[in-house]
Amino acid sequence: MRVALADDSVLLREGLSRVLSEAGFEVVAQVGNADALHTAVALEQPDVAIVDVRMPPSHTDEGIRAAERLRAERPELGILVLSQVVEPRRALRLFQESPAGFGYLLKDRVLEIDDFLDAVRRVGRGGTAVDPAVIAQLMGRRVSDSPLNELSGRERGVLGLMAEGRSNQAICSKLFLSPKTVETHVHHIFQKLGLPPAPEDHRRVLAVLTYLRDAADADQGAP
Amino acid sequence: MGDHAAEAPPRDAPGRTHGVAVALAVGLGLAGTALAVAAYRVQIDDFYQPAERALASVAVGLAFLAAGLVAWLRRPGNRLGPLMTLTAFALLVRQLRYSHDPVLFTVFFAVGDLSYALVGHSVLAYPAGRLLDRLERAAVVAAYALVVAFPLAVLLFYDGTRPLIQFDPTARESLFLVTGRPDVVELLQKTFVVAFYGGLATLWIALIVRRLVQAPPRLRRVLAPLLLAAVVVALRAVFESVFTFVDAPFAREHLFWWQIAAVIALPGALFAGLLRARLARATLGDVLLELERATPRALTDALARAVGDPTLQLGFWLPERQEYVDATGAVLRLPEGDERQAVTILGPPGEPVAALVHDPSLLDEPELLTAAGAAARLALENARLHAELKAQLVHVEQSRARIAAAADEERRRIERNLHDGAQQRLVALALELRSAQRRLSGTGSADVDALLTTSVSELQDAVDRELAHGVHPSVLTQEGLAAAISSVAERMPLPVSVDAPAHRLPPHVESVAYFVTSEALANVVKHAGASQATVLVEEDGGVVTVEIADDGSGGADLTAGTGLRGLADRVEAHGGRLVVQSDAHGTRLTAQLPLT
Repeated sequence: MRVALADDSVLLREGLSRVLSEAGFEVVAQVGNADALHTAVALEQPDVAIVDVRMPPSHTDEGIRAAERLRAERPELGILVLSQVVEPRRALRLFQESPAGFGYLLKDRVLEIDDFLDAVRRVGRGGTAVDPAVIAQLMGRRVSDSPLNELSGRERGVLGLMAEGRSNQAICSKLFLSPKTVETHVHHIFQKLGLPPAPEDHRRVLAVLTYLRDAADADQGAP
Repeated sequence: MGDHAAEAPPRDAPGRTHGVAVALAVGLGLAGTALAVAAYRVQIDDFYQPAERALASVAVGLAFLAAGLVAWLRRPGNRLGPLMTLTAFALLVRQLRYSHDPVLFTVFFAVGDLSYALVGHSVLAYPAGRLLDRLERAAVVAAYALVVAFPLAVLLFYDGTRPLIQFDPTARESLFLVTGRPDVVELLQKTFVVAFYGGLATLWIALIVRRLVQAPPRLRRVLAPLLLAAVVVALRAVFESVFTFVDAPFAREHLFWWQIAAVIALPGALFAGLLRARLARATLGDVLLELERATPRALTDALARAVGDPTLQLGFWLPERQEYVDATGAVLRLPEGDERQAVTILGPPGEPVAALVHDPSLLDEPELLTAAGAAARLALENARLHAELKAQLVHVEQSRARIAAAADEERRRIERNLHDGAQQRLVALALELRSAQRRLSGTGSADVDALLTTSVSELQDAVDRELAHGVHPSVLTQEGLAAAISSVAERMPLPVSVDAPAHRLPPHVESVAYFVTSEALANVVKHAGASQATVLVEEDGGVVTVEIADDGSGGADLTAGTGLRGLADRVEAHGGRLVVQSDAHGTRLTAQLPLT
C-alpha cells in the first residue's frame, strides 16, 4: 500500500515513515505543507494520504482544507487526518458527505502502533477510522431517556468499535467473540436505536455517528 | 430685540467712582428737594391750590426722582436712570409755570409739558433704556415736538385776557407775546389737548399693549405692573382730552387724583422691578451653594429658576469641537436673529467658556447674568475636571486592554510553539520509543519492555495535558464561540447544556468569552461536585453576557485565590465585568463584555 505523509514536524514524519515501512507500507512521499501534498499526490498516486491538521503557514486547519480538496478531486484516495485536539463536530462533518476511505485520529493515537496501522489499512481499502476518543466523548454523555441507556455493556462496547469503523471480524478478534455473537449484538443495537440495517461497514459507521451526534445535540438543548 | 450683544456687565465700580456717583446722586436729590419746595410754594401762592393738591403734585416728582436716582446708581450703563431723573426734574419745574413772575411763567410754560413726554419716554424705555423700534421712536419724537411747539405757539398769542386751560383766572405775562389772540390761544390749546392727550396717549396705550403681547413670558411679568400703571395714566390723559370740551368740575376733581395716583404708581412699579432682580440674585446665591453637587442638568435648571426664565439654556463650549453642548451632551445651536431669545457668551473675549441662551429681558439685568455666569464657570470647572478624569480613566483602560491583548497574543504564540514544537517532538520521541519496543519484542527482557511502556505513557500524559488545555483552539478561530464552547462542553465528564448565538462576535470578545467558559467549566469539574452545568451566551444592546452555572456545592470566591481573580482581570481588561454568585445550591459566574 502506497502512503503519502504530510506533517510539518520532520521528526514525527520520519518516525511515522519508519513505522509504516517496517509494517510493509511503501512511503512514497513525505511533505511539510498542503501544496507539496497536492503535488506529491498527483505525482505518486498513493493509496492513502496521512495529513496533519495543523500545518504552515497559519497552523490552524490547513490539513482539513487540504483533505476536503483532495476528496473532491480524488474520491478514490484514502485520507487519514491526524488532529491535535478532539473536535467531534469537525470530525463528524468531514464524514458527512462520504465516509468511505476517510479517517480521523488524534495525533497521539499513532503511539498505539497496531491500531494506527490498522486504521491506515482500513482507510486505504476504502473503509473508515474514527478515533476512540471521539466515540467515547459522544457515547460518554449522560443523556436521560436516550435509547443508548437501554444498551447492555457488551452492546455499548460493540457500538463503540463499530463507530470507530471496525468490521465485524475486527470486533470479533478485539472482544474475543464469535462472528455469530457479534452479528447478534449488531442486530440488537440497530433495533434498539431504530437504525436501518446497513450492509457496508462505512455506511454502518455513518449511521452510527449520525445517531450519536444527534444524541449529543439533543443533550445540548436540555436544560 | 434682535440685539444679541450683552450690555457691558457693570463691573463692581472702584470705591472712588462709586463714591462720586453717590455724591452726585445726593446732590441731585437735594436739588430736587429744593425745587420741590419752590414748586410747592408757587402752587400755594400763585395757583391758589389747596395744600394737599400742591403736596400731591410735588410728591409725583419726588417719587420719580427717588426711583430715577436709585436706578441710575444701580445701573450706570442703563439710560433709564438719567431719563427718569430728568423726568422728575421736568415734573417739578412744570409747577413753576403757574408763577406770576413773567420770566418763570414764560420759561416753564414753554417747557412744562416736556415732563409728560418724558414720562411716556421713560415708560417705553423701561427696562432696557432703549426704545423697541421705529414706531416707538416716532411716537416719542412726535410727543417731544408737540410739547415744545404748542406751548411756544400759545405764548406768542397769549395776552392774559382769557385764562389758559388748567390755569386759574389770574393773568400772566408772556414775554414772547407778538399779538393778543385769545381765540387762537384757545384753538391751539384745544388742538394740543386733542393731539397730545387724545391722539398720542391712545397710540401710547396701543404701543404698550403691543409690548405686553409680544414680550416673552419673563419680560411680561417684569413689565406688567409698570405698563398697567402707564395705561391708567394714558387713559386719564384721554379723558382729560374729552373733559376739556365738557365742563364738569366734579370730573376734573377726580381726574386730578387719578393722575396723581397713576403717575406715582409708575416709579413704584419700577421699584418693584428692581426688587425682583435683587430677590433673583439672592436665589442665585443658593444655587452657588448647591453647585458642589450639581450636575450640568441640575445647574441649568437651577439657573433657570434663579433668573426666573424657564426657557434658559446653558451651553458648554467644547474647544476641540468648536461648538456648544447642553447638559445632555447634545449640540446647542445659538439662535440668531430670534427676537425671543438672546445669547450671552461667558468667558474672556475670544475664549468662550459657556453660553447662556435666554429671554432677552435678562440683558437688562446684567448682574443676574454675571452671577449666573460665575455659577456656570464653577460648574464648568467641575465638569472639565470630571472630563479630564474620565479621559485619564479611558487612557488607563486602553493601556490595560493593550496589555491584555499583548498577553493574549503571547499566550497564543506560546501555545503555538508548544503545539508545533515541543509537543510534536514529544510525540515523535514517543513514537521512536514505541518502534524500539516493537523491534525488541520477543528478544528483550520484560524489564526493558515495561520501562519503554512507562516512558511512552509518561510522554503521552505530558502531550495530553497540553493538548487538553489548548488556550486558543483552532475551532474558536475557525467556527466561532458557539462551536468552541460546545466542543469544550462535549469534553466535560458531566452534561453541560450550551446556548450560544451562532453568529460571529469580535475576536477579542470570543477569545475572552471562551477563556471564561473553559476556565469556569474546569473549575466546575475540579471543585464543585456538580451533576450538571449550563452555559448561556447572550448578546444584547452591545453587551455580551456569558453565564456559567452549576448545581454544585458552591464556595467560589473572587477574593480568594488567584484563579477567579485572574479571570476577572482578563474580563475587566476588555472593559467587562465578572460577577460570582456562589452558595450551597451552586455557583453562577456572569461575565459581561462590551462589544466595542
